[in-house]
Amino acid sequence: MLFFSYFKDLVGREVTVELKNDLAIRGTLHSVDQYLNIKLENTRVVDQDKYPHMLSVRNCFIRGSVVRYVQLPPEGVDIELLHDATRREARGG
Amino acid sequence: MVYGVREINVSRSGSGSGGEPVNLIDTENGESLMRVQPGVDLVLSNLPPHSPGSGTLYVTTKQVIWVSDLGQTKGFAVDFLSISLHAVSRDPDAYPLPCLYTQIETEDDLHSNDSDSESNNHALDLSTVREMRLIPSDPTQLDSLFQTFCDCAELNPEPNAAAAAAAAAEEEGQQHNWIFSADQMEDDEQPEEEGYIAPNLANSLGHSNGDHDLARTVLELQINDQRFEDAEEVEHDGDGTHH
Repeated sequence: MLFFSYFKDLVGREVTVELKNDLAIRGTLHSVDQYLNIKLENTRVVDQDKYPHMLSVRNCFIRGSVVRYVQLPPEGVDIELLHDATRREARGG
Repeated sequence: MVYGVREINVSRSGSGSGGEPVNLIDTENGESLMRVQPGVDLVLSNLPPHSPGSGTLYVTTKQVIWVSDLGQTKGFAVDFLSISLHAVSRDPDAYPLPCLYTQIETEDDLHSNDSDSESNNHALDLSTVREMRLIPSDPTQLDSLFQTFCDCAELNPEPNAAAAAAAAAEEEGQQHNWIFSADQMEDDEQPEEEGYIAPNLANSLGHSNGDHDLARTVLELQINDQRFEDAEEVEHDGDGTHH
């Protein structure tokens, strides 16, 4: 549940979600669920030449299983916190 | 499961129009109807629309079914497992009509990506359909339709992801079985002393697969690669949870 908890803390921030089909969508993280399904608001496609019709959609729901990467805002990454959480997770609680 | 969009034949409950496409809903396995939205047009890829509001949308707990009002027995269906994303599109530059835009994962996506260039030549090769637009004649329905799709998507996690999430949810306070990296295995088996060279790890590997050469190779790799052990020690010193 580490990533679920972590992404929940990023709600309201700008992220870029890169899908396994190479589409990259930037938007405000609206919510995330236990399957890492991601809802973005005020989205725009990073590579607009490739997906012109995706230019701007207000709400977007992305299936967790098709996400390759989530690019985080640098200021949203608390390395110390993440480090500790990762270790706790690795030790099984 | 079936990937992508598929063409369907509908037999309706009752006579006349308006009945549910009963033969497509697997009620015995828990599938149920979540929403019926009349007056919806369906557009696959960049094909022209049928005609405004020319079909009825049935959203079930497992799939999206669109049935043409003209044909009455023909339609299309796609499983939620195949819907990679869905979004409300209102920007006329993106598409002339407000619609629910979806991206579809196809069988091709899993095996190869070389069919993109062909997709324009086939009027209706469903295996190449990666986009689907649902255009309600009443655009004010879009937000609630979007929400219905969200709810249903969450009912259909990846089979593997569902098992993992269930295990994680149950875990609370007890040992779980996710493996994130080799570091974790090292952590789990590593006594607190220094100078440890993982004999237990090698033994268990040796017993489990009976291949002692492989076990030795793994052990040697463990011994020779000191970088990670050094990093561990530094970090342990740093956060003070050891020694």
